[in-house]
Amino acid sequence: MNNIALGRYLPIDSVVSRMDPRSKIMILLILMIAIFIPAGFWGYIPIVLFIIAALYLSKLKLSYAMRSLKPMMWMMVFLLVINILVLHEGTLLVSWGWFKIYSSALIQTAYVIIRLTLMIILTTILTATTKPLDLTLGIEKLLKPFEKIGLPAHVIAMMISIALRFIPTLIEETNRIMNAQASRGIDMQNGSFKEKISAVLSLIVPLFVSAFDRADQLANAMEARGYDPSRPRTRYKVLKMNSVDYVAMALSVLVLAIDIIMAVMGV
Amino acid sequence: MPIEIKDLVYVYSQGTPFEHKALKGVNLTIPTGKVTAIIGQTGSGKSTLVQHLNGLLRPTQGSVDIAGYHLDPSTRLKDAKALRKKVGLVFQFPEYQLFEETIAKDIGFGPKNFGYTPEQIQEATEKVLPLVGLDSSFLERSPFELSGGQKRRVAIAGILVQDPEVLVLDEPAAGLDPQSAREMMNLFMSLNRKEGKTILLVSHDMEHVLEYCDEVVVMKDGKVSTQMPVHEFFKHPELLREIDINPPGVVLLKEQLQQQGFDIPLDSYSLDEIAQAVKAQVKAHE
Repeated sequence: MNNIALGRYLPIDSVVSRMDPRSKIMILLILMIAIFIPAGFWGYIPIVLFIIAALYLSKLKLSYAMRSLKPMMWMMVFLLVINILVLHEGTLLVSWGWFKIYSSALIQTAYVIIRLTLMIILTTILTATTKPLDLTLGIEKLLKPFEKIGLPAHVIAMMISIALRFIPTLIEETNRIMNAQASRGIDMQNGSFKEKISAVLSLIVPLFVSAFDRADQLANAMEARGYDPSRPRTRYKVLKMNSVDYVAMALSVLVLAIDIIMAVMGV
Repeated sequence: MPIEIKDLVYVYSQGTPFEHKALKGVNLTIPTGKVTAIIGQTGSGKSTLVQHLNGLLRPTQGSVDIAGYHLDPSTRLKDAKALRKKVGLVFQFPEYQLFEETIAKDIGFGPKNFGYTPEQIQEATEKVLPLVGLDSSFLERSPFELSGGQKRRVAIAGILVQDPEVLVLDEPAAGLDPQSAREMMNLFMSLNRKEGKTILLVSHDMEHVLEYCDEVVVMKDGKVSTQMPVHEFFKHPELLREIDINPPGVVLLKEQLQQQGFDIPLDSYSLDEIAQAVKAQVKAHE
């Protein structure tokens, strides 16, 4: 369980890791929109170029970014099977009795796989180059304008950062409880359905109990130090955008513009 | 048959960037029927070592022989349950493993998994309750309405009820008040004396180690650096300072008295004996 690549921050100093988290989040959003614009396969060329540049500048290995795709493999295979069974348009490629593969099934699956892959690589670049706390600070700042219509930006950011902070703690806790219950004769792999339910319960209940305990303690500790989310706060760390941020954002907008033009012209 | 650990190596997350070698060749013989303390700094490999004893971890290299089982890298434990019944493991803060609606069910959880009949479970539960200082009025209560100390007793009862041959305790008294800690340790000692159970105690509390244990094993950087009988071990407080652990009060007192020029017999650890020795020497001096 310690091998989760998705969402892990890597302490590598690079142009990208020094960028303002706000601009990185904005770029991610802009490129996500670009990914979903139906501009055909050629429409992915500018996005891929942008990603290659980002990977190069962030000094990340492509293999690292790809690693977080592994858990998606089965989903993609499943998707392909569903598409082959459901989509019967385009030219017939293979015919094997009742089993027929049409071109549209392959094309649709290819689109979904490309979109997922690009999004996951982009997200991995963001989380690998940005400390979780900077990331939440960036989200908070970006949500700030929406506070006027009643969105609690600071509270949301605080919740995200607490959730991120407790992921490793809960993983550790899960391992500990699993070991403890295994020592009491629980077998997570074998056994009947009823035994498996009881195995899962023996893990979930203690996990919840200890999570609530921790939440209680943390809440008390925060209140003891005078935390009040509604009061104005100052920051030790002040975010500042510089030229790299502006150039990168301009380029991502350019990518989006190209895709929109391609989509409009193509259709 | 003693517990034999030979050249035990364990590597976490092998083959990933997070690879970490926790045990680097541990060689250890733990005598049966004795109380053995395992001490060492955080991260010295104590917990990793302990998890090999009931097959929770499989050795990366080397082997473990325990309770008639031979565990090595090629072992596929088919009857892990049988081993886990024989080797009871009490983790740190065991109160966090409670989950059933009633204490009776929680204590009976292990035995149920090990295939006891309901009658056997009831019998074993009733036998184990007085051992941990609880009575049958607790049986139908929820474990979550108990105090911290009581929860720990219930959790420990849940392991003792399996009647294991070997009992491995990871800081069983951590976080308890001194009185409860003492009661807890006395419970384990009586199990050792009356029923001859082999006990392994992972502890940072040197007072407990000196008072209750027969042997001391010092872990340092994934290896065993020292193994000695307790009374021999505490003659060398420098061994403890090497791993940044404070010697027990009696040992500190002896050290200070020796610095003052008193001649204290090396193998006396009782305050009375030391007082007698000091008194005799003061008298002789006058």
